Amino acid sequence: MDNKKHILIVEDEVELALSTIHFLQDNHFTCTHTSTIQSALKEIKNNHFHAALLDLGLPDGDGLVLIKELKNKNQETGVIIVSAKDTLNKKIDALELGADDYLTKPFFFAELNARIKSLIRRLNVEESKKIVINELSIYPEEMKVVVHDKVADLTSKEFSLLLYFASNQNRVLSKTILGEFMSSGYDDYGFSDDLVYTHIKNLKKKLSKLGCTEYIKNVYGIGYKFITN
Amino acid sequence: MKLITKSSLTFISATVIFFLIGSVIMYFSVRNIFSSNLNDILLERKVVLEKQIEPDNVERFYAKEVFVTKLESECVLAFSDTVLIEQEKYVLYRKLDFPYKGKGKNYKVSILESQTKTDVLITKIVIMNVGLAVVFFLILFFVNRHSVRNTLKVFYKTISKLEEFDLNNNNELNLDSAQLFEIKKLNSVIQKMADTLKRDFEVQKEYTENVSHELQTPLAVISSKVDQMMQSDNLSQQQMEHLALLMETTNRLSKMNQALIFLTKIDNRFYTDGSAFDLDQLLKQQLELFEESIKQKQIKLELQIEDPTHIYMNRYLAESMINNLIRNAIVHNNDTKSISIIIKNNTFRITNSGEELSFPADKIFHRFKRSETNKKSLGIGLSVVKSICELYQFNLSYFTKNKLHTFIIKFK
Repeated sequence: MDNKKHILIVEDEVELALSTIHFLQDNHFTCTHTSTIQSALKEIKNNHFHAALLDLGLPDGDGLVLIKELKNKNQETGVIIVSAKDTLNKKIDALELGADDYLTKPFFFAELNARIKSLIRRLNVEESKKIVINELSIYPEEMKVVVHDKVADLTSKEFSLLLYFASNQNRVLSKTILGEFMSSGYDDYGFSDDLVYTHIKNLKKKLSKLGCTEYIKNVYGIGYKFITN
Repeated sequence: MKLITKSSLTFISATVIFFLIGSVIMYFSVRNIFSSNLNDILLERKVVLEKQIEPDNVERFYAKEVFVTKLESECVLAFSDTVLIEQEKYVLYRKLDFPYKGKGKNYKVSILESQTKTDVLITKIVIMNVGLAVVFFLILFFVNRHSVRNTLKVFYKTISKLEEFDLNNNNELNLDSAQLFEIKKLNSVIQKMADTLKRDFEVQKEYTENVSHELQTPLAVISSKVDQMMQSDNLSQQQMEHLALLMETTNRLSKMNQALIFLTKIDNRFYTDGSAFDLDQLLKQQLELFEESIKQKQIKLELQIEDPTHIYMNRYLAESMINNLIRNAIVHNNDTKSISIIIKNNTFRITNSGEELSFPADKIFHRFKRSETNKKSLGIGLSVVKSICELYQFNLSYFTKNKLHTFIIKFK
């Protein structure tokens, strides 16, 4: 069996599901897609999933019921709720039922990617707890970054930014995506462009000081890209 | 004015006027009756007198309370009232004048009959009547008041139930079925209205959530496709820039949608649960979120907290309110780079330096009103602040002077 992680996508909006599958396959995941609770239950019974993306408003009911099924089958399955319903109560309900994360539609794939990877790292015992890119090692749980055996002195914002880039290698991240990631919250809109720029500048400076390759490249007029190949 | 006071006042004024007019009418009609009675007596005395008087010796006739006057011409029979002074007292008399002919001469004979006794009688009757009327009035007044009050009790019950009724809580309005037709009718009409309101409110709440869901999902599709396209290797710089713009615009649309839904929720009183906390703690928490932005923009922040200021409201809304005001002060700052925040006397006051407004100051809280210099802002933050303040009846005001902009929230 190959080492690819298996992800269940329960989503009744077919186009969105297709893009998500396409994206996840690009990121070396295998996907199973269903659009109803009934078929999702069948899939859960027959397969092992590393993570599941659940939409809440499904044609035959509320996706919340699937959380318990997934967790009963395997505690290590990470459950991410993907819903347009952005209410505190829904979130609390979902988290109380055992969901691990909650993502509001519309979301950016980079964000989804980062969250899935973080979940899988967290929930699977045998999963490596560090991300290694040549001379650069990132330890998410300890919030530690090591370059050439030297610990980089990063602020928490810089650290999370680096982790975000490392989760989305070789992918163009536009200023919009990064801005959203940095601010998290609709009301911060149009606020964070300068902030993103400053943080990335500082991050790059600190890493290159330790002799790290310049992985984070500026994509002119668009944003940034973490290039490893 | 209370309904019962109003009804009592009408009752009192109507009866007072009625009794005043009634007493006057009664006095005169009783007097009239006694007068005609006296007239009869006088006429009887006239018949007797006419027999007693000797035609030859008219002028010398003497009887008690009879006067004879000699006249040139004939007079007519007439009744009148007259007053005599007896022992320095005015005494009212009824007088009958009639002509008498004796020896070819004309005389006028006047007979007097004292009215003192009848006057006393009239006064007694009137007093008795008025007394009876007052007693009657008082009894009627209290009986009426009591019965109105009893009737109104059902009415007041309806009112107090309506006062307790809150669309947002899950309590149903249950009005008792009253016995009185009008109250019963009123209750049923209100009940029907409340049920409709409640249903509409539920529908609207659901609608808000549906709009969110229905709009966010297509936006998610657009965003995902743009994201996907952006990762292609064979795009020109211009195509890339277009895609980046598309992504930003879609994101903006989605934020705007979420902000509007949030505003609608505030206006629909969706956030009702509250808790008590200190404003200074909340402010410090919110300022932490902006620490980096403030540092990066090199803004001088002045904090003056004189008392903690306890407030009771929904925590989430309080955070949003303070957050929006701080962000506004940062985003719209100018080269002077200053923000000052003062908490004292139950008042939150934030002042920032900033360019003059490009629109009238009274439009500052309007939705989508934003300055020309900051095109990226959604123009909705201050409307959120206003909606929250309106919900809690906090007094929110704004003024600007010498390129300084001040927002003040006066808590209740």
